[in-house]
Amino acid sequence: MPQEHKPVQQTNVQGAQTQQEQSLAVEQGQVNPAAQYADVAEGLDSVLDDIESVLENNAEDYVNHFVQKGGE
Amino acid sequence: MSRSESHAMDMTLRRIFGIETEYGISVTDADRDPDPGTVAMIMFRPIVAASRSTNTYTPNGSRLYVDVGSHPEYATAEARRPIDALRLDAAGESTMRSLAMQAQDLLREQYGPRTRIHVYKNNQDSAGHSFGCHENYLVRRDISLSLLGEQLIPFLVTRQLYTGAGTWSADGQFQLSQRADFLDDAISASTTRSRPMINTRDEPHADSDMYRRLHVILGDSNRSQIATWMKLTCTHLVLCILEYCTHHCLDTGLAGMALADPGKAIKTVSHDPHGTAVLDMADGSRKCALEIQNTYLRVADRFVRDHGDDIALNIADAPECLELWGKALDAVHFSDITELATWVDWAAKYRFVQSMQLRHPNLSVARIRQFDLDYHDVANGHIFDSLVSHAQMRTMLTESDVERARTTPPSDTRAALRGAFVTAANNAPGCTWSADWTHVSASVPGAKSREAEMLDPFDSQPSDDYKKVMELVSGAAD
Repeated sequence: MPQEHKPVQQTNVQGAQTQQEQSLAVEQGQVNPAAQYADVAEGLDSVLDDIESVLENNAEDYVNHFVQKGGE
Repeated sequence: MSRSESHAMDMTLRRIFGIETEYGISVTDADRDPDPGTVAMIMFRPIVAASRSTNTYTPNGSRLYVDVGSHPEYATAEARRPIDALRLDAAGESTMRSLAMQAQDLLREQYGPRTRIHVYKNNQDSAGHSFGCHENYLVRRDISLSLLGEQLIPFLVTRQLYTGAGTWSADGQFQLSQRADFLDDAISASTTRSRPMINTRDEPHADSDMYRRLHVILGDSNRSQIATWMKLTCTHLVLCILEYCTHHCLDTGLAGMALADPGKAIKTVSHDPHGTAVLDMADGSRKCALEIQNTYLRVADRFVRDHGDDIALNIADAPECLELWGKALDAVHFSDITELATWVDWAAKYRFVQSMQLRHPNLSVARIRQFDLDYHDVANGHIFDSLVSHAQMRTMLTESDVERARTTPPSDTRAALRGAFVTAANNAPGCTWSADWTHVSASVPGAKSREAEMLDPFDSQPSDDYKKVMELVSGAAD
């Protein structure tokens, strides 16, 4: 049966580590998750620019406004 | 399980998929604060004007309503394929956005011109209240609850490695799942007092001798289209294995997967982005989430190779699912957040926050939690849309696919009948109508009211009763 659609659209994403680098990171031991995932956050400059231009100033106020009874 | 045993259509593998999504509401920058109940009622004004109720069905056959706790909720119409369920779920997001933006205009008249409405497709508020994204799978009744507990729950507990939406708690701690902390038992009948992972409230909306509705309530709401599609498709494949093997008295190959304590395991997995934390198994051994997921992937891969001709597997796009599944587990294994972030919600958010922290090393927890919420805001959020527009988040649907899905039901389920009925009834002046998952009824002034039952979710063919309902409604529109 022919596939009616191609489910996943590929896009290019920059900043991938080589598998060798990643293997090294793994071999050196499973440590703090934040430390291992920290230095791969590249390629997002235009997204960061977008968000900085629209950021609401009072983050605390924004977060605390969202209080709603549970559902389900 | 040889290929010769499975012919073009094995009825044990047919499926109906559905997703019920509760949305959270907040308003910021108002002169005074309206409560969520007021905001929900303002959002639903156009619905009440059209259907005299906050509980209605849409032209694509889905249900749109206000649920407990003033949460706007959208339950997708019956879909035979995960991609159709995804389309309908995305149509739900789009519907919520439209309702929210109309409500924002009204709110600004009363609460000041800067008032902004936020409609979060997430699973918890800032005070720690939780709400759900429930998946429904129609399964054969011969599959036992104990089998689901032993061989489905371990899959569901560990799939958060790629289906988790991710979140930061008030103390800044990150975890993969927004739901893990709120779940208790593996299987139970309640959803509000205790929160099980699978709910046994058995409302198949179908032939109850043959089917039960499997109600999975442990999952996070996903913004990523691929994550939504993957959670349905992977779960479908695991259910196919369990159902087929039960039906044909075969070994599933998944007997060793039972967890000693699923409630504890789901929290352990949620706090471990590497999938390597050790979980206690029911047989006394220990395995990590990655090992468990790799076993399910291997068994699913074998099953698809043995049953590749089967229509129910083909329409679920199993090969594409298996390929993405394998890539995701590799990416977790190699800590490749960049690969994961192209479609895994927790990774996309995590990578975004890490990048922001490189620019602003002293980012406050409140700011991070604001980013977290913004990612899920389908009304006035920025981060998710920006990731998509800068090709950092992959998608499966175009905007026009989603708009079309708002008015187009799947053509191969009962939803086609319900959707056509709702569209016709909305266009018939003076027509009073009602619908639920298994009925439609209509009355017009001066004529006998009509109703029709639709008990088989797989059946899109109109019955004589249904044709009479449609004649009545169409006559009123002339």
